[in-house]
Amino acid sequence: MRQKPGLSLAIIAVLVAAWLALGFLIENSYYRLLLTIVPIWAVLAISWNVFSGYSGLVSFGHAAFFGLGAYTVTLCLVHWNITPWFGIPIGALLGAIAGVAIGYPTFRLRGSYFALAMLAYPLALVYLFEWMGYQEVTLPIKREAPTWFMQFSDQRVYLLLALGLLTVALVISLAIERSRFGMSLLAVKQNELAAEAAGVDTLRWKLRAIVLSAALASAAGGLYAVVLLVVTPTSVFGLVVSAQAMILALFGGAGILWGPVIGAAVLVPMSEVLQAELGHLLPGIQGIVYGIAIILVILLAPEGIYWRVRDLLARGARPSSIVPSGGAPESISSSPTPVARVQPIHPARILEVRGISKSYGGLKAVHDVSFAVPEGSIVGIIGPNGAGKTTLFNLLNGLVRPDAGSVRFHGKDITGLKPNQVCRAGIGRTFQVVRTFPRMSVLENVVVGAYVSHGTEDLAWRAARQAVDRVGMTARADVVASALTNKELRLMELARALASEPKLVLMDEPLAGLGATETREVIGLIRALPSSGVTVAIIEHTMHAMVTTVDNFVVLDHGQLLTEGPPAEVTRNPQVIEAYLGRKWAMKNVAS
Amino acid sequence: MLRVESISVSFGGLRALDDVSLEVGQGQFVTVVGPNGAGKTTLFKTISGTVEPSGGKIVFGGRDLLSYQAAERPHFGIAHVPEGRKVFGPMTVLENIEMGASTKAGQGEWTANLERIYTIFPVLHERREQLAGTLSGGEQQMVAIARGLASSPQLLMLDEPSMGLSPTMADVIFDSIKQLHRELALTILLVEQRVAEALEHCDYGYVLETGRVVLKGSLDQLSADDRVRQAYLGM
Amino acid sequence: MSAFVEQFLQTLASGLLIGCIYGLMCVGLAFIFGIMRVINFAQGDFMMLGMYLSIYIGLNVLPATVIGAPVPFVSALVSGPILFLVGYLLNRTLVSRASGLSVATSTEVEAHQTQLILTLGLALILENGALILLGPAPVTATTTLSSSAWEIPLLYDEFSAVFLNKARTVDAGICIALVVALFWFVKHTRLGKQLRAAAYNAEAALYMGIDVTRAHHIAFGLGTAIAGIAGGLVAIYYPVQPFVGVDFIIIMYAGVVLGGMGSIVGSFWGGMTIGLVQQMATLVLPLQLQNAAIFVVFVTILLLRPQGLFGRSAERA
Repeated sequence: MRQKPGLSLAIIAVLVAAWLALGFLIENSYYRLLLTIVPIWAVLAISWNVFSGYSGLVSFGHAAFFGLGAYTVTLCLVHWNITPWFGIPIGALLGAIAGVAIGYPTFRLRGSYFALAMLAYPLALVYLFEWMGYQEVTLPIKREAPTWFMQFSDQRVYLLLALGLLTVALVISLAIERSRFGMSLLAVKQNELAAEAAGVDTLRWKLRAIVLSAALASAAGGLYAVVLLVVTPTSVFGLVVSAQAMILALFGGAGILWGPVIGAAVLVPMSEVLQAELGHLLPGIQGIVYGIAIILVILLAPEGIYWRVRDLLARGARPSSIVPSGGAPESISSSPTPVARVQPIHPARILEVRGISKSYGGLKAVHDVSFAVPEGSIVGIIGPNGAGKTTLFNLLNGLVRPDAGSVRFHGKDITGLKPNQVCRAGIGRTFQVVRTFPRMSVLENVVVGAYVSHGTEDLAWRAARQAVDRVGMTARADVVASALTNKELRLMELARALASEPKLVLMDEPLAGLGATETREVIGLIRALPSSGVTVAIIEHTMHAMVTTVDNFVVLDHGQLLTEGPPAEVTRNPQVIEAYLGRKWAMKNVAS
Repeated sequence: MLRVESISVSFGGLRALDDVSLEVGQGQFVTVVGPNGAGKTTLFKTISGTVEPSGGKIVFGGRDLLSYQAAERPHFGIAHVPEGRKVFGPMTVLENIEMGASTKAGQGEWTANLERIYTIFPVLHERREQLAGTLSGGEQQMVAIARGLASSPQLLMLDEPSMGLSPTMADVIFDSIKQLHRELALTILLVEQRVAEALEHCDYGYVLETGRVVLKGSLDQLSADDRVRQAYLGM
Repeated sequence: MSAFVEQFLQTLASGLLIGCIYGLMCVGLAFIFGIMRVINFAQGDFMMLGMYLSIYIGLNVLPATVIGAPVPFVSALVSGPILFLVGYLLNRTLVSRASGLSVATSTEVEAHQTQLILTLGLALILENGALILLGPAPVTATTTLSSSAWEIPLLYDEFSAVFLNKARTVDAGICIALVVALFWFVKHTRLGKQLRAAAYNAEAALYMGIDVTRAHHIAFGLGTAIAGIAGGLVAIYYPVQPFVGVDFIIIMYAGVVLGGMGSIVGSFWGGMTIGLVQQMATLVLPLQLQNAAIFVVFVTILLLRPQGLFGRSAERA
């Protein structure tokens, strides 16, 4: 559960004050320097977290921004006599620009390829700066106006500056966390496709994140140069710097405000002190500390110390997590009679699919499928295994581009639009496998779906609450997602789709794994949707439930449309029987 | 030969298999049918070891299978022809079959097995140097079955061999499975969606729905029962 | 004019020779990725271990008087099996543990990222461990062959010739032999085919009784062994110090990505291309920017054609 912002701000204030006090108490200049360096590394780690921790795109190259900031401040001072008071912001700006320049092309890559590509940038900069002759640049001492040039004889002022920067970084981080910025990024990390389908413009958010992250990293680099007074390519662009940014954040906890701070507060002093004390005997002790730290964390606490500790503490307080889907086993052969729903005589066609096709290699996953969905109805997409049902949904949703054909929604052509645009147009989607933010409440999970059609935070949270009410989860709105039952997870997934207030919802196997009673509950909800203005299309295999729920079936087989019609007709259609049970069955048992 | 006792499998809160029991006797041809999502593939994966059950026992040839790793089980004589065939695309047909002979028994009887395979599936002999990924669906299914045969199995498990195949091709495949049962006296456990073809030749059938065995019986018993159709189509 | 041609051909020859060595390095990395889908960040550090090991063996273990000039080559080859064992054990105890875990939620992509991060930690430990145990002073392996060269006269001019450094030529020859051997192993032996099968479809391989976990250990061991041998061969002309692996990281990645990750043959040609680019760049660029040229190539390939010049599809957004 998220902490209230007031509490977080209070903690930040206490932390900073305590740190400052420590700085004033300690007399040893080496330890004072250490106290000053820790916040700077913390800011770098926070900058890594803001981008990689939230979005899940691991960056191995944050040193590029750190070094840019360091060199900007240095060169501004050396060549143009510009004070670091200006130099640091200029560096941050340049860092931000570099963020866009690097991010935009590199975002086309995924996973490990992205991490490797990011690795290349700072290493290239090392060679570049070495070639330009900046093997080692010292910041000149400005005796004539030390304060103007950010040079102080009292070391403690540097500590103040570092803590100031840290406070800024923490406040920014806090602001992000509670807003759609952080939530959208987390949605991207959790499942980028689902986020897109929920209306999140993933590219835009990634760019914003890297720009902010780069600016912070550059600012940290600039201050680093000011404090250390000497800059070499390897000390600011080197692999160690990138590794440090990543390790500190991952160690402490990814995706949370405090993670990088914990990481910096634990690892930096440990390694620096060990280096100071044992450096002559064990010269590489620093690297070893970081190496062991990251390996231990990856194996034992993959999400970071913060989350591990939180989970361990919470386990004592909370009853055990997932309640398996219950429901007493019931006789399956009883099939209740379908309940007729009142429908308009000539409903408008909310969705028109014409001749849609998609091939993968030589395989025709979907071939020349055409059908229309009347507004206010519930249509079931069925067919044997491998018939192309999910591919069809992906085509409707924008996750996959069709090779041919068109999709019209409310008369507008939406073929080829990106998924978040399709969502914006009014089509929602739920997925087979429900991915949640396990440590966040139901409401927080749902709000991501509300951003696309609600501009302000207030409106979004209110829409989220309404969606939660609509699926009957009001009582559980503040429960952590990992404590939900299977049925509740599916309802939450539906709520997220409803939060954008769609006119059409595509539901992919919403009943998978539910017991008989739970199925009835969910079906009840689905049946109520059209009366609140939502047309529904479902892919499902649980036929017993479907035959009493849908108005029409659309049957696919081998990627093609086999037939459509009301359940009573379709389930006795010889072709359908043949598709499911085999030709010989149809021949044997002529439908009565 | 194979006894599955009260197997339950859960994925998170999802119960995929609920107290499933079945038996396959030596030399029998047993079929498991059921609609999509019934848990048929999960059942096979549990027997083979790529899925761990939360409860129950599996006994094969007197051995408690669950105490062995997945890679060890084929060496006891279980051949699993997986759903979707899963041939090694960039390898040739012959190489695929060679991989099937990774068990000791398979290596010992390699020449004899290969000859048998070529007799039952002559097209594989023709295409033995062709890359498996370039074959048609039906031919790939033959390769997958051949891989299973190459291990000199005592039990051959086939998961939806007709999936994605045209009805004619599916018939060819079913005929060859029939042939295997007859000529090689292989014990066969078949999972299928296409009920009639599967039930036609089996000794005994089980109907699985949402993770539970809802019907079982001989071919005659099942084919007379409209509940089978209802299990698939709901009404 | 002829001087330029001579210089061009000389650079080309040097590029080819060094390309063979880079090719071997890339093959090691690509092999691990191809079979296990793991990007071994510590590959350069296994090279470093091979370098030190090879020098040690050459100085203290091999009877130099009997073998004579080829000592470094033999010791490089001897370090291979030792590093195979190291890699095998490391994978078994450490790297494979990360495959089931995730940093955020478990998807295949993130599991492999976890292994990438883990091997980064491993790299840090190996580099700094070496620093502690072996000291920062650079060492080299020596052989008389590195100071002599074969002369290949150019036909058009009795004064022009291309010189092939003997040591590097032998290096290149060994590299080619090893790549061919590995290729033969993977293509024609049962174990090699089982490794490939495990990579193509691990589930199906399990159903055939192939021990996929052990296959991964073997693949990792082979990859590190190759890195070690390549290191031993490089030690003949490149000074060895604990962080030398970092110098070669980008070369290896660039070569592998260029060649199409996971393709053994492709990565060899990728490494060859990088070697050529690096040498030919000296014709137009100052020395320090040599490596920058490699970066440019690397990033350009990643952005324009992530599947490499020779490979299949890659992880793309």
